[in-house]
Amino acid sequence: MKSDIQKVRNIGISAHIDSGKTTITERVLYYTKRIHAIHDVKGKDGVGATMDSMELEKERGITIASAATFCQWQGHDINIIDTPGHVDFTIEVERSLRVLDGAVLVLCAVGGVQSQSVTVDQQMKRYKVPCIAFINKCDRSGANPSRVIGQLKEKLGHNAVAMQIPIGLEADLEGVADLAAMKAIYFDGDKGEDIRIEEIPEELLPEALEKREELIDAASMFSDELMEAALEEAVTEELLISAIRKGTLTRELTPVFMGSAYKNKGVQPLLDGVTRLLPCPSDVENRALDPENDEAEVILTANPEDPMVALAFKLEDGQYGQLTYIRVYQGTLSKGATVINARTRKKVRIGRVARMHASQMEEIDNIPAGYIGALFGIDCASGDTFVSPRTNLTMTSMYVPEPVISLAIVPKDNKAEINMSKALTRFTKEDPTFKTYVSEETGDTVISGMGELHLEVYVERMRREYDAPVTTGMPRVAYRETITKRAEFNYTHKKQTGGAGQFGRVAGYIEPCTEGDFTFENKVTGGSIPTQFIPACEKSFKGCLKKGSKMEFPVTGVKIVINDGASHAVDSSEMAFKAAARGAFREGYAKAGPVIHEPIMKVVVETPTEFQGSVMGSLNQRRGMIVGSQDEGPMCVIEAQVPLSEMFGYSTVLRSLTQGKAQFTMEFSGYKQVPKTVEEELIRKAAEEKKNVA
Amino acid sequence: MLHKGKKSVASCQSSVVRCSGKLATDNGQLATDNTVIYLKERNFNMLKKELIFRNPLRLMGHDTEDILLPGGFGAVLARAGLGKTAILVQLALDSLLRSKNVLHISLADPVKKVCLWYEEVFRNIANQYDVRQIDQLWEAILPYRLIMTFNVDSFSVPKLEERLADLTEQDIFMPQMILIDGLPFDESVRGPLTDFKALAENHGLHVWFTVKTHRHETPGPDGMPTQLLNVKDLFEVVFQLRPEEKNIHIDALKGGAPNSDHSPLFLDPSTMLIRNA
Repeated sequence: MKSDIQKVRNIGISAHIDSGKTTITERVLYYTKRIHAIHDVKGKDGVGATMDSMELEKERGITIASAATFCQWQGHDINIIDTPGHVDFTIEVERSLRVLDGAVLVLCAVGGVQSQSVTVDQQMKRYKVPCIAFINKCDRSGANPSRVIGQLKEKLGHNAVAMQIPIGLEADLEGVADLAAMKAIYFDGDKGEDIRIEEIPEELLPEALEKREELIDAASMFSDELMEAALEEAVTEELLISAIRKGTLTRELTPVFMGSAYKNKGVQPLLDGVTRLLPCPSDVENRALDPENDEAEVILTANPEDPMVALAFKLEDGQYGQLTYIRVYQGTLSKGATVINARTRKKVRIGRVARMHASQMEEIDNIPAGYIGALFGIDCASGDTFVSPRTNLTMTSMYVPEPVISLAIVPKDNKAEINMSKALTRFTKEDPTFKTYVSEETGDTVISGMGELHLEVYVERMRREYDAPVTTGMPRVAYRETITKRAEFNYTHKKQTGGAGQFGRVAGYIEPCTEGDFTFENKVTGGSIPTQFIPACEKSFKGCLKKGSKMEFPVTGVKIVINDGASHAVDSSEMAFKAAARGAFREGYAKAGPVIHEPIMKVVVETPTEFQGSVMGSLNQRRGMIVGSQDEGPMCVIEAQVPLSEMFGYSTVLRSLTQGKAQFTMEFSGYKQVPKTVEEELIRKAAEEKKNVA
Repeated sequence: MLHKGKKSVASCQSSVVRCSGKLATDNGQLATDNTVIYLKERNFNMLKKELIFRNPLRLMGHDTEDILLPGGFGAVLARAGLGKTAILVQLALDSLLRSKNVLHISLADPVKKVCLWYEEVFRNIANQYDVRQIDQLWEAILPYRLIMTFNVDSFSVPKLEERLADLTEQDIFMPQMILIDGLPFDESVRGPLTDFKALAENHGLHVWFTVKTHRHETPGPDGMPTQLLNVKDLFEVVFQLRPEEKNIHIDALKGGAPNSDHSPLFLDPSTMLIRNA
């Protein structure tokens, strides 16, 4: 495998729904000879586009799974990684954004910067991914690339500069004029594969010169050499491109390309842009976390000789078993090597190593740093980090947030039941924030995750990909119980009626604790509780935490200390002490001021300013605490902390409040105590449910 | 009077210590660990009161709880990077502890950065006074705070009035104190400030501004920097941060009483908290 890292690009293509992301990807694959025919998204041939595997993605405007495709352009290897765009899939987002070094932000020449573009842009900003923009659909009526460039500046705060101007617009779109080379590019042939380069038409020359000046002005901020050349009027294409690249890599400049993927215009110059302007893996500083040092960040080197660090970012079921897509960040991953899975600390032997090449897989000996490859038959979950032995680093945080919402699902028939279990096994492996279990009380299968949409998407995927239709119950919020004050207990368990007697006394105290969910401390001195019974006490206390006596929610944040007790030479047993500990917990817990905690979400609403009042009102009605509002020109961003239980169906409410112009994102923030009135309501509802079950 | 306040805190503290000592002798046995913990577990409101009481901010103002009277304007002047925002946040936290609604308007920083300022200053205060229930206290004061950010160019009094109406009509938030961080005090500031003064007087608001001064500008005859010369009549209280060697002095240019008869006030550069000598 050749390893000129300078010629590798790992990129993502992000866009608002219907901006033509699929069409662009299809053209890219065609021009790079990865596929031999173009199928349109809704084409008459009924094949559908190559990357368009998930119908659900189209419907909801979000990309759910991150797939990787490989192609080659002008001697460069380009890996295209799909990027999911919804905050409910936090871990998935983080994972795929870590894998890519640069991105293409696709915008519609008519629609401009739309809500989804804002979301994906925010994510790129968060992960500092350099990007170039592509204004698609310049053939549509109403297309106006310069307006979109203006929106990129105003709405997204990009320092956007045009790299091209269109030759003709709307139905008359013929090609583009390249402002760096000052040449006109036309796309001939049936599928635009023949590129014809000519002089820029005379009537366009003044505009082209003016825009080129703007481009040089913006780029010269990043290169003194270019600045000097500009003063002497001796700007060369190479000098200009290298200055633009510098600005792009630091995210201080966003070069804008344009065209119409559907009409096969402008895609090849975009690919040139990807290879010339976006970073190669060694241009990007990657960081790993050191779990032994409080997850402190460690900078990785792109040196293939250093200890290996790699991230498994995507799993795929293939005919040879599980195929694991992997990106190597440091060192070299070689065939036959033994590596450690940082999550499980288990040794893994690398069997076959492959890379995706044209339409088939090519087996290779190693994957050097910066490259993306695939492994066969490795048992791991996506997001796992593989490291060389004696290295302890992880690419993603070991901290996986607990699910905050759950939903009971019932398969529609027998076939669906079998498929459902297959689907669930796969989803839980792919997404650590998605969990599933069988409820002991109702016997239902319960799925839990990070938000309403998160679960909805999995239910849809079950139906579509696994042919497992399920009916769902009402979503349930994961409430918790905890205590607010210290309380003492002293409980004696005594049973002397019939059979062997039982005796055990457990005394101590229970108190709130902020570190961890449960801490147990044994302060018994003088053997008042014999040592062999202490583990039984601890186990029993632990068992009690599964269901608090207040509302039967799990109990967290509790420290239990036992400091005294009594035993009987004959009648004391493990069982007796378990029973005593249960009684002691009940006694102490009731006195310790138990309260219910609910998950609180950080909700960020982006709305046109005129709806600010009504949006704030709607959040306030939902027991939300408004943290702040940020004015950003015509839009404003409102941040609030709102209980999850109040957020069901909020998207519909928000749409109707703002004529569909606002959008919101929501992520888990923490647990907070439920107000008294809500607590009473919860207790009343629980009692009613119990009655109904009985 | 102000000094008395400080004294009474000290005596109150010692009484706690004596009290535990007394308990021990009355019972005729040594106080166990438990007793000490119970004594230290202060009532939540008491804790708040104590924090308010011990705050050196008390030394900045008059006899009233607030340094400003309703409808009053206060200004914190300093060169860039000396700690204007830190002072503003301490003024806000003091009001928040007294359950007064504070609207923090930033024209320079995003909401996230303003939040960080509050967290940092609050943590430092809590550390300084050894507050144990820091999380609880933080949760308790947060609902009284609202942050708004605007672009400097698009900020205007009518726009703010519109936003305030949004908040008050729906009973979402009724500010009692407004902090404005980053308003440029140029030649044209008098107009908007006069409008704002009327708004503040109508609603009985206490309003604090930060004013950025420059090293190269010579102040007016009364020590007032050029930025305020034209509008000083609108302000009741003006403080200036003055770096001298390793310390940052807080001088009162108008109103307030930091230097009148007691020890001067400083801004501790390491914690960004106000302290007296």
